[in-house]
Amino acid sequence: MEKWECTACGYIYDPKEGDPDNGIKPGTAFEDIPDDWVCPQCGVGKEFFQKIA
Amino acid sequence: MRVIIVGNGLAGVIAAKTLRELDKKVEIEVFAEEKYHYYPRPNLIEFLAGTIPFERMFAFPQEWYKEQNINIHLGKPVTRIFPDSQEIEVAGGKKEKYESLLLANGSFSFIPPFKGAGKKGIFALRTLDDAFELLEYLKNHQRVVVIGGGLLGLEIARAMKSRGARVDVVEFFDRLLPRQLDIQGASMLKAQVENMGIYVHLGLATEEILGQNDVRGLKFKGEREIEMDMAIVAAGVRSNIRLTKEAGLETDRGLVTDDYLQSSNAKIFGAGDVIQHRGRIYGIIPSSFNQARVVASNILGMKEKYEGTVPSNTLKVAGLDLTSVGLVNPEEGTSEEFRKEKKEEGIYKKIVIQKGVVTGAIWMGTKKGVNEISRIISQKINIEKHKISLLEDDFDYSVL
Repeated sequence: MEKWECTACGYIYDPKEGDPDNGIKPGTAFEDIPDDWVCPQCGVGKEFFQKIA
Repeated sequence: MRVIIVGNGLAGVIAAKTLRELDKKVEIEVFAEEKYHYYPRPNLIEFLAGTIPFERMFAFPQEWYKEQNINIHLGKPVTRIFPDSQEIEVAGGKKEKYESLLLANGSFSFIPPFKGAGKKGIFALRTLDDAFELLEYLKNHQRVVVIGGGLLGLEIARAMKSRGARVDVVEFFDRLLPRQLDIQGASMLKAQVENMGIYVHLGLATEEILGQNDVRGLKFKGEREIEMDMAIVAAGVRSNIRLTKEAGLETDRGLVTDDYLQSSNAKIFGAGDVIQHRGRIYGIIPSSFNQARVVASNILGMKEKYEGTVPSNTLKVAGLDLTSVGLVNPEEGTSEEFRKEKKEEGIYKKIVIQKGVVTGAIWMGTKKGVNEISRIISQKINIEKHKISLLEDDFDYSVL
């Protein structure tokens, strides 16, 4: 599964780790995160994330 | 320790969040002019376009501030700073003491002094209230002119178009995104924007806003005119420096800070759009974010340096991927430029090289290699040996 980077602050979402503090279980693909999830570091929405090629 | 933060935009809130991460006990008071909790400003565009509803604008739920023990005072702008007694005055006259003060009170939309600029129907987009007013006016005024063809101007144009308005974009320079693109890239972008049904006018200096009480049209130098019902000005922002000047803090175009983001007064720090660091005002999220993290450490007595941020912009207009990093339009004779264009696929890439190091890049129509080139730029990796092959699609970045 691919990692995604927040274009605003540089936070990297790693599906292996998920974002358990905000209810995203380890192993969750970025595409499967609910639309109202925001960057845990700076708060921008999913649309500001870019796939790390 | 009692820290007062002025402003609850990204810089203020991220600084508060970082302070709390580093220190469970520090007392954090945030005073905000806006009556809404923190929302990332790019969300305003989506709100304007109707793709994000009001409830989803906000980065953190209301309970979060309580859980973090961060006291936020919404709708309470700070009106004065008294550096000698370490106090601020809040609208209404109440005074508050601080041990450290963080100025993160941002910037405002600049409206150039056009003739007729006082008429009804002229807007800017900076706050949620701006967005509400704009949408209300749009209901009965469907011909919109966006003054400014920069990042914000184009995003606003896209949002207005998706609301069904007729949209014209007017840019003073001879190309769109003059700061992020070169002539070649900008002409590709123009074609894409026009494809969306947005009208683009370049090289026009607005002279006068026409109309009786309500705006009716724009007049440019050289007698050209266009008709409209409302104008949205996106001509850049200016730092909010009234407070800092009145307090006697060293101020230029922004509040002047050193590498520790400290102002000329040792108890007063700054972060975000309000500050000028090494002569530069960034006005972009990544730099505000970095500054907020660094300044929080320094407020707590650690000595962390802020060394600047390489500006990077990613934009999606008309379904076109576009990334611009660093210096893309260098002065003549200071650099080498390499380009690769595949017209039929809508791909254009360019790198700027100074003394063997990539200092700027434009990537259009593709995302492949965007992250790699950004890292090469921010880490100042020498690529002299690879400069010819770097723009090839199959370039192996691992050799660097």
